[in-house]
Amino acid sequence: MKTSTEKARETARKELKSEPLESVIDRIIFEKLNQNPSILEHEKYFEVPDKMVMFYKYSYGEQSRFFSELMNSAELYGSRCSKCGILHFPPRSRCSECYGETEWKKVSNEGIVLSSTTSWYATSEFFDKVPYAVGYVKPLDADTGILQRIDLKGREKIEPGTKVIAKFKEKRTGVVSDFWYEIME
Amino acid sequence: MKSYRQLKSEKRRVAVIGTGQTKFEARTPNKTYYELALEAAMMAMSDGGITLGNIDSVVYGIYNDLFERQIMPDTYVHDYIGMYGKPGIRITTGGATGGYAFRSGYSEIASGLADVTLVIGAEKAQDCYDWAQGKTTPEVIKSIAYSADMTWEFPLGTSAASSYAILASAHMKKYGTTEEQAALVSVKNHGNAINNPFAQSPMKITVDEVMQSRMISHPFKMLDCSLYTEGAYALVLMSEEKARETDVKDPVWVMGIGSSNDKSFTGSRTVNDRMGKYGDIADLRNHYESAAMAYRMAGIENPRKSVDVAELHDAFSFTEIQAYEAMGFCERGKGGKFIEDGVPMMGGDLPVSPSGGLLGAGHAVGATGVMQIGEVVNQLRNRAEKRQVEINRGTGLAHSIGGPGSSYCSVSVLGVD
Repeated sequence: MKTSTEKARETARKELKSEPLESVIDRIIFEKLNQNPSILEHEKYFEVPDKMVMFYKYSYGEQSRFFSELMNSAELYGSRCSKCGILHFPPRSRCSECYGETEWKKVSNEGIVLSSTTSWYATSEFFDKVPYAVGYVKPLDADTGILQRIDLKGREKIEPGTKVIAKFKEKRTGVVSDFWYEIME
Repeated sequence: MKSYRQLKSEKRRVAVIGTGQTKFEARTPNKTYYELALEAAMMAMSDGGITLGNIDSVVYGIYNDLFERQIMPDTYVHDYIGMYGKPGIRITTGGATGGYAFRSGYSEIASGLADVTLVIGAEKAQDCYDWAQGKTTPEVIKSIAYSADMTWEFPLGTSAASSYAILASAHMKKYGTTEEQAALVSVKNHGNAINNPFAQSPMKITVDEVMQSRMISHPFKMLDCSLYTEGAYALVLMSEEKARETDVKDPVWVMGIGSSNDKSFTGSRTVNDRMGKYGDIADLRNHYESAAMAYRMAGIENPRKSVDVAELHDAFSFTEIQAYEAMGFCERGKGGKFIEDGVPMMGGDLPVSPSGGLLGAGHAVGATGVMQIGEVVNQLRNRAEKRQVEINRGTGLAHSIGGPGSSYCSVSVLGVD
């Protein structure tokens, strides 16, 4: 006898196509754009394909050190308020509780899951990754938590209170997805 | 209108005198967003017995530029519905856009800046289209996911559902709330929508069907989630003196408004308690604060005994359970039992979301909060037809929320004399 959750998961799996994305999207859109705009069946309204694309270069500002330490040293940095003592993770240039100045402080790779969810549906970019867990993790010595991916390791969900440890990608590019958390056995 | 010197310092009383809406539908290829807004606006003006010339100012609730395929969409609505020569502003606060647009419209009149203000919520959604999948949904989800912090959260594959599912998981852990209790909300609201001719998803379903529907983001299944909706809803607001002067029938008064935003980096809510404020991830502190503010202004001490009807934000079924608690309808942590006991059902002592809510009526984001307030208005003036509930105390409440981890909240309390 299958549980409700198992059935719901099976339906989710069946529905997903694991097609790759950006190149496919571009190809299809340009094909469509070269055709005439379509008129909806039974209707007199025009419908046309379109897309919106933007390119950026952006600065991490005063949070830059978090990303440079992550990329170069595979270390996690938060910031401690010199006035009220809160250790913010992710870091803040000023404490949002009291506006006190903060100083950089390396935080523990070990942490506690505050709460998490397992995603079974996503945008095209993440379709081939489901199911995956995201949740808030508070390093043992920090006062606040960061959103991060938590490796399910075959589990269905990650319970609040679970102990986890940070793992780092071999090739890091200075983005938040350079690390993730795994359950501590 | 009184001069500034005559106004002194007190707030002016504000009435809602007209409501109008389009049908809420999955997709409306027959109408652009400004045509949706026009249809709702004309209906609201006709209901309020006023014409274009009577309107002093307009507030637009439109959530997402990517949905509309347009930055500053309000300026094109303003033109299209003939409001040139009048002030118009846009509010965009996620799922709470409608509630906050109403707050802004109220302020226009309470402050003396206007005597008649139109509040319009309008939204498209399903023009977003994922050409690789041949579906709208993944692309709609993406355009909402861009509301997550682009540096810290979006790159991890978050969605609106996962953001609220994290809150639900915390509530389940802390208070023992169950998926079955949340499923009851879905059954109730889809069922209530059967009596709403404007609703997108009227359905007679069972708890078992909710439990076995497709998994979206644990603990949310498909039937725990509202759908994407296109539509518009408009309200006409009027100052008390103008309403008396023009002898408005059945004005519904704005008794109280309370609004509060919590930390949108949800993981930093852990220090809410440390700083002597209530709430962590399981308790939506800003919902409690918004309700307290609105009740204080309305002079309500016991909401459970004072409110006849409420429209609570149920983009996800669990959120309604959290709202029962935050609105003071039951004790903290007892929201699941509140629905098990049948209190928020149509025949119950405090019916919640007779419109069908977002699950049943649909979630046309910018229009949603305006719709919820319009529903309460029509309940209070006994014009809700097949879904009319009994009005004994003359008070109703609308709860509008949105943003990552439900960071936005605005609560409106309405009443009749």
